[in-house]
Amino acid sequence: MIPIRYNVRSLAVRRATTLATSLGIGLVVFVFAGALMLSNGVKKTLQTSGNPDIAMVMRAGSDNEMGSNMDEPNVHNVLAAPGVKKDEKGSPVGTGETVVVAAMPKLGAADNGISNVLLRGVRDNVMAFRPTVKIIDGRPARPGSEEVIIGTRLRGRFKGLQLNESFDLRKNRPAKVVGVFEDGGSAFESEVWVDADVLRQAYGREGSINVVRVRLESPAVFDSFKAQVESDKNLGFMAVRETEYYEKQSEGTSLFIGAMGTLIAVFFAMGAMIGAMITMYSAVANRQKEIGTLRALGFSRRSILTSFLLESTVLALLGGIVGAAASLGMGFVHFSMLNQASWSEVVFSFTPTPQILMTALTFAGGMGLFGGLFPAIRATRVSAIQAIRG
Amino acid sequence: MTLTQFAAKNVLRNKFRAVMTVLGVAVAILTFMLLRTVTSAWTTASDFAAKDRVVTRHKITFLMMLPKRYIGQVRDIPGIKVATYANWFGGKDPKHEHEFFACFAVEQSYFDVFDEATFPAADKERWMQDRRGAIVGDVLAAKMGWKVGDKVTLESGIYRGEWEFNIDGIYTTTRRSMDRSQFIFHWDYTNDNAPAQVKDQIGWVISRVNDPSHVAEAGATIDKVFDDRDTQTLSMDEHAFQASFLGMMSTVLKAIDAISLAIMVIMMLILGNTIAMGVRERVSEYGTLRALGFLPKHIVTFILVESLVIGVLGGVLGIALSYPIVERGLGRWIEENMGSFLPYFRISPVNAGIAIALAAALGAAAASIPAYRASRQNVIDALRRVG
Amino acid sequence: MSNQASAPLIKLRGLKKTYTRGDESLTVLSGFDLDIAEGAFEALMGPSGSGKTTLLNIIAGLDRPTAGTLEVAGERIDSLGESALAKWRARNIGFIFQSYNLIPVLTALENVELPLLLTSLGPAERKKRAETALRVVGLEQRMGHYPKQLSGGQEQRVAIARALVNDPKLFVADEPTGDLDRQSADEILALLEKLNKEFNKTIVMVTHDPAAAERASVTRRLNKGALE
Repeated sequence: MIPIRYNVRSLAVRRATTLATSLGIGLVVFVFAGALMLSNGVKKTLQTSGNPDIAMVMRAGSDNEMGSNMDEPNVHNVLAAPGVKKDEKGSPVGTGETVVVAAMPKLGAADNGISNVLLRGVRDNVMAFRPTVKIIDGRPARPGSEEVIIGTRLRGRFKGLQLNESFDLRKNRPAKVVGVFEDGGSAFESEVWVDADVLRQAYGREGSINVVRVRLESPAVFDSFKAQVESDKNLGFMAVRETEYYEKQSEGTSLFIGAMGTLIAVFFAMGAMIGAMITMYSAVANRQKEIGTLRALGFSRRSILTSFLLESTVLALLGGIVGAAASLGMGFVHFSMLNQASWSEVVFSFTPTPQILMTALTFAGGMGLFGGLFPAIRATRVSAIQAIRG
Repeated sequence: MTLTQFAAKNVLRNKFRAVMTVLGVAVAILTFMLLRTVTSAWTTASDFAAKDRVVTRHKITFLMMLPKRYIGQVRDIPGIKVATYANWFGGKDPKHEHEFFACFAVEQSYFDVFDEATFPAADKERWMQDRRGAIVGDVLAAKMGWKVGDKVTLESGIYRGEWEFNIDGIYTTTRRSMDRSQFIFHWDYTNDNAPAQVKDQIGWVISRVNDPSHVAEAGATIDKVFDDRDTQTLSMDEHAFQASFLGMMSTVLKAIDAISLAIMVIMMLILGNTIAMGVRERVSEYGTLRALGFLPKHIVTFILVESLVIGVLGGVLGIALSYPIVERGLGRWIEENMGSFLPYFRISPVNAGIAIALAAALGAAAASIPAYRASRQNVIDALRRVG
Repeated sequence: MSNQASAPLIKLRGLKKTYTRGDESLTVLSGFDLDIAEGAFEALMGPSGSGKTTLLNIIAGLDRPTAGTLEVAGERIDSLGESALAKWRARNIGFIFQSYNLIPVLTALENVELPLLLTSLGPAERKKRAETALRVVGLEQRMGHYPKQLSGGQEQRVAIARALVNDPKLFVADEPTGDLDRQSADEILALLEKLNKEFNKTIVMVTHDPAAAERASVTRRLNKGALE
């Protein structure tokens, strides 16, 4: 076996070329890892948004909460269905919500346009209904008042969405932000929670709601719950598990990011591999005498092959490590995207995991291996006579 | 042989490496073209927006509706040539659960305002007479397998229940200001059995103005009419309207631009590396040229030209490859499946031009450092080097 | 014997060349005078490190002396700037290198044409002159061949044609036969002699080869930076 020192020193000697090639690979790894981290961030946001034992009931044929239209009295029908959990007092655990998407002016950076924010009209029992939601700054809103709480991801992104600031629900209908809440990275963190009646009055939706959410006794009773709720064709309701709802919501976005990510990964990788190939072919061409000498000294063809494959892989990994390390910096970046399904902005983050980093490094190694394969094969064809010819 | 030809011939010094570099540049340019086409497809709607149309909607959110009587008042405003209204239906075909397309309940003058939608006059006549009639875009019809005469049932969360429609016509567009996947039917039909929430209300008003050069003022005029009412309006010319949607995707567009930048950097690294390698191998040659009387500026020019040749060849190849990919395979798939987002996924000559210009500019930039260093080389030291 | 009656083509006075690296300085040429007549065929010989190549480089305008003056054909060369020197070289010097230094991607004809690209001649005129030069060295049959298709001797002849094509006064040759076998070396030396005797070209040649020195009209020896 040719000692790996030979390869490392060879790389060090051709410093400029090594730097250029591994930088290229590093850039590819950076983008690749970034895409994986974003995809993971999207999944995390939209998956933690769903609770397996919460069921959502909406008008049949609705794509999302916004498109569903139900009457207030219907809430009771839904709460009375079998499988709904009861609290200590024997009342069913559930809440009706109204959802509105409002255009609000954005803040910050170069973009001062307007974008859509999701306002959710909630009942007094919403915090009890969702124990995972925690107020991290300020205090809860007083029921029936114009006080609102905002999700932590909205903070500072829109005009008026900051603690103790106000914004208008509509002309002459101000709302004051009294608290900021967190919910484990879920989609709710990109929402504003308003008192349901205040919201409905402001938007002329008295007496109607968009969705009823209930807590089931257990995820297993969902099917019978669904059957009951959907049985009345006159009412025309449909029930869906909250987890499935959010999965579907993210489908379009995930599909898009997945498609873009794959496109980018494939083409970038091709480019990086061509770069590695050029470098390694050149290395082999310049080291004909060296290789011939190694052969003359008795090293086998296979050891030459292994040696050069190792060199290209090390070259790629060098870049890969730098690229992966740099991608961790993306963890501080927040990415806001229009959620196709809800027409509102959701803020995603780049979420790194050890698996993603390993995948990125493996990808780098793979590029080095495949990029260096043909040059390494060419190296094995050099005969011992080159040692003398030079 | 001229000086430029001499410089270009140097590319042939290592044919294999030159070919691989051209390939690398081509891949980079191809990726760049695909990414830019995505961005362009998004901005198409805003770029091709009609110059004489104004969209008027509820001031607070487009999810809230306007009273129907507003259309009469808009029509009365001087300078408004014709106005129509439309409602978002939010419909789905239960037979194709996962297909999303835009459904609009419209007033009869819709196609006077959107005159880029073309279909046979006979079909339009039939539609006008048919309460349940629908006109659909040709891309949507192709995807769903619909033909004129078919009956389609849609479900809607907003307009509760099931609604039956007859396909009376299929439209295509003469301009890119309208996508080809819309499902359009009569407002009267769905309003009759609409829930109280949306009954007798319209989603937005679209007007065409007499004077396109003052389209923004027309919008302001409309809003003034409704300013002191309970329900206020927000009017935007079509370009601004589309641009506001884009604003919501601004981060994605920025990300794509950043990635496009990254691929160009990679291209520079590949090309620059190849040129640098070639320069290093040719030190004594440059020394000879200097001895013969060539000046440092000549050396720089030779190296830059060499880089430009490879860069432009790679650019042309990359663009040539992008055409079949976009115009045939990928483009068709995207238009059909993401048509509401990216309705016109085509290569634009402008993007091709930008790609070539970038390939050339970056090719020159990539070679600048090796070129500069080669020109500063001491002649005698250069001549001393062997081979 | 060189004709001492006419003014010398090359006049060196007090020529000194010193290299400094940090605190150390190395004197390669110790300061001497030298006249080379027009039409002379001079051989410069000496052990390695004697400074003969440095002297050649200075005469050829590739390097500048640290002290002293150099006059070629009445022009003061030692004080010219880089660009002026380059232009001067193109007009006045024909180079012949030990390893021929042909451009591998160019044919023989294109290699010979190379120096003409620095002039204002048109393409047709350039081609004509290049062909003529190749004819002088006897290689007009091979003008479309690439260097790798030529033997060492043929490559050197193309190089001589290239040196010839601008019709310079002075030829500067650094070990022109160093890489050649005996037969090819003799051919090249014969060619140089022809240039000198028939065309009255002045040739200054650095060489280790005694056979080459024999063909020259004057042989000078350098040792430790001084003429012996």
